Amino acid sequence: MIPFKNSNLLPVHGFKPCTGLTSTANHSMVLPILEFFKRILSDFDIAHRESAAALTGVEVKELENIFALLLLGSFIGLPSPPSFLAVELLPFMERELKVLNSRARDAGDMLAEMVGTIGIG
Amino acid sequence: MTTVIIVLGLLIYLILYFTYGKKLERDVVVASDDTEAPSKRLYDGVDYISARREVLFGHHFASIAGAAPIIGPALAICWGWVPGLLWVWFGNIFIGAVHDYLALMASVRYDGKSVQFVASDLIGKRTGTAFYWIVFFLLILVVAAFAAIVGGMFVKTPEIAAAYVWKIVAALILGVLLYRVKMNFVVATIIGIIMLCAAIWLGTLQGIPLSYTTWMWVFFFYIVIAAAIPVNVLLQPRDYLNSWLLYAGLLIGFIAAVFAFRGFEVPAFSSFSPVLLGGKPTPFWPAIPLIIACGSLSGFHSLVASGTTSKQLTKESDGLFIGYGAMFTEGFLSTIVMVSIAGFGYTALKNAGVTPETLIADNWGAMFTKASASVKMAAANLFVQSYADMVGSTWLGIIPTKVIKVIAGMWVASFAMTTLDTTNRLARYCVSEMALPLKDSATGLYNALTNRWVASVIPAAIGIWLAATGNWLIIWGSFGAANQLIASIALMTGAAFAAKKLKSSFANAAVIPAWILWVTVTAAILWFIIVVQPGAIAAKPGPGWTVMVILCVMLILNFVFIWDFIKSKAYKVE
Repeated sequence: MIPFKNSNLLPVHGFKPCTGLTSTANHSMVLPILEFFKRILSDFDIAHRESAAALTGVEVKELENIFALLLLGSFIGLPSPPSFLAVELLPFMERELKVLNSRARDAGDMLAEMVGTIGIG
Repeated sequence: MTTVIIVLGLLIYLILYFTYGKKLERDVVVASDDTEAPSKRLYDGVDYISARREVLFGHHFASIAGAAPIIGPALAICWGWVPGLLWVWFGNIFIGAVHDYLALMASVRYDGKSVQFVASDLIGKRTGTAFYWIVFFLLILVVAAFAAIVGGMFVKTPEIAAAYVWKIVAALILGVLLYRVKMNFVVATIIGIIMLCAAIWLGTLQGIPLSYTTWMWVFFFYIVIAAAIPVNVLLQPRDYLNSWLLYAGLLIGFIAAVFAFRGFEVPAFSSFSPVLLGGKPTPFWPAIPLIIACGSLSGFHSLVASGTTSKQLTKESDGLFIGYGAMFTEGFLSTIVMVSIAGFGYTALKNAGVTPETLIADNWGAMFTKASASVKMAAANLFVQSYADMVGSTWLGIIPTKVIKVIAGMWVASFAMTTLDTTNRLARYCVSEMALPLKDSATGLYNALTNRWVASVIPAAIGIWLAATGNWLIIWGSFGAANQLIASIALMTGAAFAAKKLKSSFANAAVIPAWILWVTVTAAILWFIIVVQPGAIAAKPGPGWTVMVILCVMLILNFVFIWDFIKSKAYKVE
């Protein structure tokens, strides 16, 4: 699965204290301020990218659900692929099963998530 | 004056954030980082995943920001600038931001479940189900309200329409560059921004002069097509370009408001009941929440907060910054809008052809709505012109006014159009849930209603029809009613959460605004039905009755909801 909202995938420039770099009072003031603005810009960039990716994520999620149902559909009465194929693919589905389980749990409570992802105002 | 109000607004927000906001965090929500947030406790790498608070703030703000905080203040200026501004500030601080924050934190404590789920648990299942109906009505009204806004703007300034069409072309090209050519993201972004600037420039060269009705047809097909094509082809690259426009618009607006150094030309207070909705005297209380929604309080925010934000919150102490702070930012956006219109709106109206005999400070309340509509300078158009004039009066005036006008217009149009084409996706889900009781008893009807095309075309068709034939101010008021009704349910839920679950010592900070909001919204809808609607039905029976039915169903749901609330004793502070 593609963790489209995973901020870990994107370069995160954390705030780094400027210890050891400050030889004067001015430097000790200026560098943290620069770092602060650098961090704001960095977070702005990440938020901006992730907001854009979230919309694509809606479609990715839908495709993932369909893929998981194709392989595991027999649990709910959907026709399955040949059993040897399903069994061969099953070990690769561990994470999908977990996520599928979590989505099944939240299936009746999707309105807010859709509004949160798509955005409306 | 413009500068003073902007700086004062900023100070009020900052002070109240660190005093009242912190008090809410400490004594109402009792936020504690010792309790693991759902993003960590239920981490799955996809939905439940922690994000840095600044990043999540950006996400959350982009989701809640829309055209409504711009349009509301542009209408509320008929009361004069003080009443509208007071509602933006104090409604935002004591009701709207509390609502967003509580929805977020209740969801966090409920494993990231939505406010709808929390309402079902704390108040009653019927209240949870009511969400689908009210949201569905809201989607119809939002299509109507926003299509009418954009249509009116495109007719008044055809250059904005042209620029928007060019922007769609730019978005399609950006989509190809990102997903087909797989170009480097930064390079594609730079090309996208250049194309966005080119779209604005090309728009100023030649507009698209079409009639209002033609634009309504265009919007209808646009909504249907945009909802049917994969998101990566148009919507996603377009939204990405939109967000650049949002930040540029906010930044330019903020700088211009600070450096405008201009006195207010709009009266501070006109009348308690100026002529506004349906051409009737509209009392500030209870009608104000119907006019200014998102800038002060919006029910949709509770869904955003409890939909995705709560699943990504790293720790509880980040909640105040995101839930409470993002709402302050939106309130600040409305403040900028209010300042631009208060400082430059009267000149904009005069330049558009309103004579001093028609509109002066003394008859502002009685004549503002009529005079601004007569020169097609109401709502979005008034904001676009005032904003352009405000920017033009500062050192940013080196940018041609025509370009600024197109930027401001594109800003509003982008927000509104995004909303239009996303409603179909939400409506389909709502219809599926609402039609569920029919599944066994009327399978054929259920299948027909939940058909992808039927479910998504219903709100688009009704909404565009209302926009094409109805009275826009009636639609806007109804949209506000539906939005505030959701806010009322969400705030009651938040209050129930604070009183019943948390047993907070300061729970009345949520319970009292919740009651105030419910009484205000109920009174507003009753006033709307009794005073405004008869005239609207007499003038245009089709759209009039449609809105009337929606309002009546919402009112009934509202009483059912308060009955459940009282029965569950969720309000009782223990």
